[in-house]
Amino acid sequence: MFWPKRIASIAIGIGACFLIQAVAGKMFDFYGLRLVALAGLYVTLAVSLNLINGITGQFSIGHAAFYQIGAYFTGYLSIHYFAAGAGKVGGPVVWLIAMMIVGALGATIAGFVVGLPSLRLRGDYLAIVTLGFGEILRIIVQNQEALGGAYAMKDIPTIQSLWLVWALAFLCIAVCRNLLKTARGLTFVAVREDEVASAAMGVDVTKVKITAFMVGSAFAGAAGALLAHYEGLITPQTFAMDVSFIILTMVVLGGTGSITGSVVAAIFLSYLPEYLRNLKAPDGGTLYVTGATCLQWMLTIFAAVVLIRWISRSLQFPLVQRLGLYAAAVVGALVIGKLLGFGVNLISGLAAIQIDAGQLRMAIFAVALISVMLIRPQGIFAHHELSLTWLRGLVSRKRPAEVSA
Amino acid sequence: MLTRNLNYRLWAGAGLLAALFLAGCKSDSGTGGSSSSTTGNTASGSIKIGLVAALTGDLKPWGQDSQSGAKLMVEEYNKANPDKKVQLLVEDSTSKPESGKSAAEKLISEGCVVVLGEVASGISAAMKEATTSKQVPQIAVGATRTDLTKDSDYIFRVCYTDALQGPVMAKFAYEKLGLRNVALVTDEKQPYSVGLSDSFRTAFTKFGGTIVDEQKYNTGQTSFSGLLTNVKAKNPDGVFCSGYFTEVGPIVKQAREAGIQKSVPFLGGDGWDSQEIVNTGGDAIIGSYFCNHYNNKDKSDAVQSFLQKWTAAYGGSLPGTTMGALGYDAAGVALDALKRAKSSSAKDLRDAIDATDNYHGVSGDITLKGRHGDPPKRAIVVQLTEDKQQTFVKAYTFEDVFPSTAATPPAASTPPAAKK
Amino acid sequence: MGHGVELLAALNLRTLPEQLANGIFLGAIYALIALGYTMVYGILRLINFAHGEVYMLGAYVSLFASRMLGFGPTSNKTDSSVVNLLIMLTASMIVCACVGVIIERFAYRPMRAHSRIASLITAIGVSLLLQYGGALFLPSSPPPSINEKVIPPVYRESSRIVLQAPPAELQRDLDSTQTIYLDAKKKYDFYMSTHQGVGEFDLAPDGQALHDKYKASLAPFNAAQAKADERSVVITVRHADIIILVTSVVLMGVLTYLVMFTKSGRAMRAVSHDFDSAALMGVNVNNTITFTFVLGSALAGAGSMMQATLKGPPLTTFFGFTPGVKAFVAAVLGGIGNIPGAVLGGLLMGVAEDFVIWLGYSNYSDAIAFVILIIVLLFRPGGILGSSKVEKV
Repeated sequence: MFWPKRIASIAIGIGACFLIQAVAGKMFDFYGLRLVALAGLYVTLAVSLNLINGITGQFSIGHAAFYQIGAYFTGYLSIHYFAAGAGKVGGPVVWLIAMMIVGALGATIAGFVVGLPSLRLRGDYLAIVTLGFGEILRIIVQNQEALGGAYAMKDIPTIQSLWLVWALAFLCIAVCRNLLKTARGLTFVAVREDEVASAAMGVDVTKVKITAFMVGSAFAGAAGALLAHYEGLITPQTFAMDVSFIILTMVVLGGTGSITGSVVAAIFLSYLPEYLRNLKAPDGGTLYVTGATCLQWMLTIFAAVVLIRWISRSLQFPLVQRLGLYAAAVVGALVIGKLLGFGVNLISGLAAIQIDAGQLRMAIFAVALISVMLIRPQGIFAHHELSLTWLRGLVSRKRPAEVSA
Repeated sequence: MLTRNLNYRLWAGAGLLAALFLAGCKSDSGTGGSSSSTTGNTASGSIKIGLVAALTGDLKPWGQDSQSGAKLMVEEYNKANPDKKVQLLVEDSTSKPESGKSAAEKLISEGCVVVLGEVASGISAAMKEATTSKQVPQIAVGATRTDLTKDSDYIFRVCYTDALQGPVMAKFAYEKLGLRNVALVTDEKQPYSVGLSDSFRTAFTKFGGTIVDEQKYNTGQTSFSGLLTNVKAKNPDGVFCSGYFTEVGPIVKQAREAGIQKSVPFLGGDGWDSQEIVNTGGDAIIGSYFCNHYNNKDKSDAVQSFLQKWTAAYGGSLPGTTMGALGYDAAGVALDALKRAKSSSAKDLRDAIDATDNYHGVSGDITLKGRHGDPPKRAIVVQLTEDKQQTFVKAYTFEDVFPSTAATPPAASTPPAAKK
Repeated sequence: MGHGVELLAALNLRTLPEQLANGIFLGAIYALIALGYTMVYGILRLINFAHGEVYMLGAYVSLFASRMLGFGPTSNKTDSSVVNLLIMLTASMIVCACVGVIIERFAYRPMRAHSRIASLITAIGVSLLLQYGGALFLPSSPPPSINEKVIPPVYRESSRIVLQAPPAELQRDLDSTQTIYLDAKKKYDFYMSTHQGVGEFDLAPDGQALHDKYKASLAPFNAAQAKADERSVVITVRHADIIILVTSVVLMGVLTYLVMFTKSGRAMRAVSHDFDSAALMGVNVNNTITFTFVLGSALAGAGSMMQATLKGPPLTTFFGFTPGVKAFVAAVLGGIGNIPGAVLGGLLMGVAEDFVIWLGYSNYSDAIAFVILIIVLLFRPGGILGSSKVEKV
């Protein structure tokens, strides 16, 4: 029963991608389609980072570097060889798939190089090294005239294939999911939990770590290739450190170790900036928030976080009551915020500052990151997953005896 | 216990996702409800003009000014033509090229027939990809990089190019200041700065001067003692800084402190133009010269009436940068073309813009006919004087620098390269 | 290979001493920031990602302080004294200390029970919040800078230290042409000041004559200067830089005293040696940690006040990030957890950065920091003054 089921699910997956393309094509114009594509790319990036961070426990925060390698490498090749090669391989889409593979390979080599220090370094040091590697790469690329320098690499032949973007996302999710179902895959989790014990049980820790880096970076590289060809234009700014932090926030918010969490958080957070940009004032003009209001919100959230932490640490109640208390805490925070608001409005300078809603984007990411870490460091979904078994369990009358994650 | 947690969380997550997508559908779909709008009434039949401006980020002072200028023009037009009102939609480019491109795409998807912007060459070039592929004309406000208009029929500008600015400063340096050995300091990360340095270097060496040293820095750098020591060692009699004011101010200040004498003048391009430069440059920058598009103290009618309108609309303050005037002119060219166009479709509007002949703008007369997007504007050399203002020193017309007036940039004769 | 040879030929050895001096002054500031990183790491084993942002806030405090003292962008005050600078310094140090304590209390203390990675992520979050949240409230577009008038005039000058004087006849030429030049300039300036509003190129004949004479004297002066410079080695040192160096040394001395000779300092050393044992011995760990953050943040505040005021760069909320990273590398280079190591690392980083600029690769000067970091972490994680015993594995 294995193979037919496997082939059926692959077919359904690819079918779903075409479905997405068809539906989105009807619903959105070219601008909206771009957002759907971007969401798909972020899903791939978040899940691939989760493989390294959450599942294998290697803290890597320079993920945008692999994204960048894939984009620039394939962009360069396409600029020079697309005209000659596209016809030979059978069309732009096939060329794009070839570029994805090439981008993945290029990024994998980088992933290997970045993964090597992970053998000697732990935790925060590894994080800084991966960040450093990302920055070095960005600066090197920025200084290469052949890659467009600080200007931009443009004239990349535009091949916009929405279904391929989501196919890559599904592939990434499938690979990570299946990894966790096999015995080989569980070694990744074992390395995360306890390296020494895993080594004692015969796990080749080195190989596991390097593999995690290589696979994660491969997907990021493929995503980069898709980005370069979708936009037709890439600049080093596109891959600045901000992007690494955004992907990290997606992973942390969703839940390190939870693929579902990464997917949900990626879609949500990639859409958030657009949503903010679209917010308009009642009269149709740009929506401005005063500095005072902004500060008031921050204080409210701060109060809410503090209260919720206090409740969850010190009071032991069953779930329903706890949820009720959390809700009460939020209400309480709103009240505190309102009160503080009067004080804040007194500071004259603040009321005068006009902040455009779109500018709030990164600040919201930062606040989300801190709040998640303070309240629920394991993320919203923690290590749980959405799965067929769980769905079946919801629908059926009797609950399954054990919970499968 | 675990399952119930999971239930709540996952249903909440799914619900959130669905809600977000629905909300997104409403505001994203081009056929859906109305989205952004600013001045003008919101009648769905009105013509929409888009503006991409850097409302946040490094280029905010210029972007804000270009928005103010464009708004001023549109309001003026709407008052004069109450039955044919025009709507100005503004999107923020956040001072980044790819955001500028997606902002342009957003405006086009909302139905704009022309896109104005941007104030910087890098962002304008990125927007060009979107406007050219969607066949919507673009009028760049302050982008001076020479090759911007080379490979597309859809991009125009209201400002001069670096191909003019470089030779103007070179001519000024060589003839008026008598400089022969100049050091060149470039911001490597900015295409504008790199292009302007190239243009200056070519022109200055053609006059017979020598570039004795070339130093590079990055946008955002704050300490320049390293490169200044190198410059000082070559003993230039003048230094040309082609970058933006944020770095040029500290560069000049640190240069004087490093021992480069007051007798060695500093020169620059329109990237110096801002109120801040006299603060960051302090005393050191007083006496330096740079090239600008127009001057607030110009006594001509066009400038004075513009300044009156501006101060009336914006609470008494003068435009901080020239982008106010250029934004006003860009919108003006677009609206003037709208009057002449056969229809209000993007293609016809593009043809009308291309035929603009001697439009009297605040920043000078703008002719686009037969120029492939680059108007032969005049350039003004100004000096930063003790009163912390820009004082007019000398004007150069296009013909002063390129004596054969029929000369258009060579690219005009070659058809735009086919998109690969 | 050819590139290397022409690189060597182009290296201007005359400028090397000045570049080295620049590097040391740059390094002094890095050292101040690095001390903060190293002390926090020593106690909490946490990389305080937000330290660069505390540094940034110090610069803004200095800006606001200078404005309150009357030296805003539009002011015409020109008299200032050292007192103003001291007020700004104190304000900056105090506010930074407070900010550091708040961050520790609300963002780091709750995470102490969790893994180090969780603390690091929180630190990243705080850093981002301060950068982007700060950009919403603090003036950063266009980037403001501190009015240089707040610095007393004597500190704004530079001195020339002659390491090797030019040969006598070149010096004579220089002196004579300089006299002629200065004389012509004085006459021309006087003329211009009595004829306000006249453009440089529209002068009356008498003014034009003075102008031409001034310009004519300029070329020989510059030529003589060039010849003299070619045969001499001179360092131009800004008085402001000397102040930075002196102040940094004083602050480091105070820090050393506090750490080595006071009870709180001893508590710090105890806690950084062994957290639990110190607690068992009755050390109030929380207070000690707070004290550490106070010291580290105050030093960063001092560094940023000096950088922002005496070097006068435009301030944005992102301007603390790169120095923060470089200072962190400095701390690692010198041996993280090691106070003298931080100072040494800071100086080395400053010199390395200026060296790279001197070589002509100024656009890679940021990347060099990361390269040094990776090399140190891979081959000698303990840093120069630390143990080669690797604790990170």
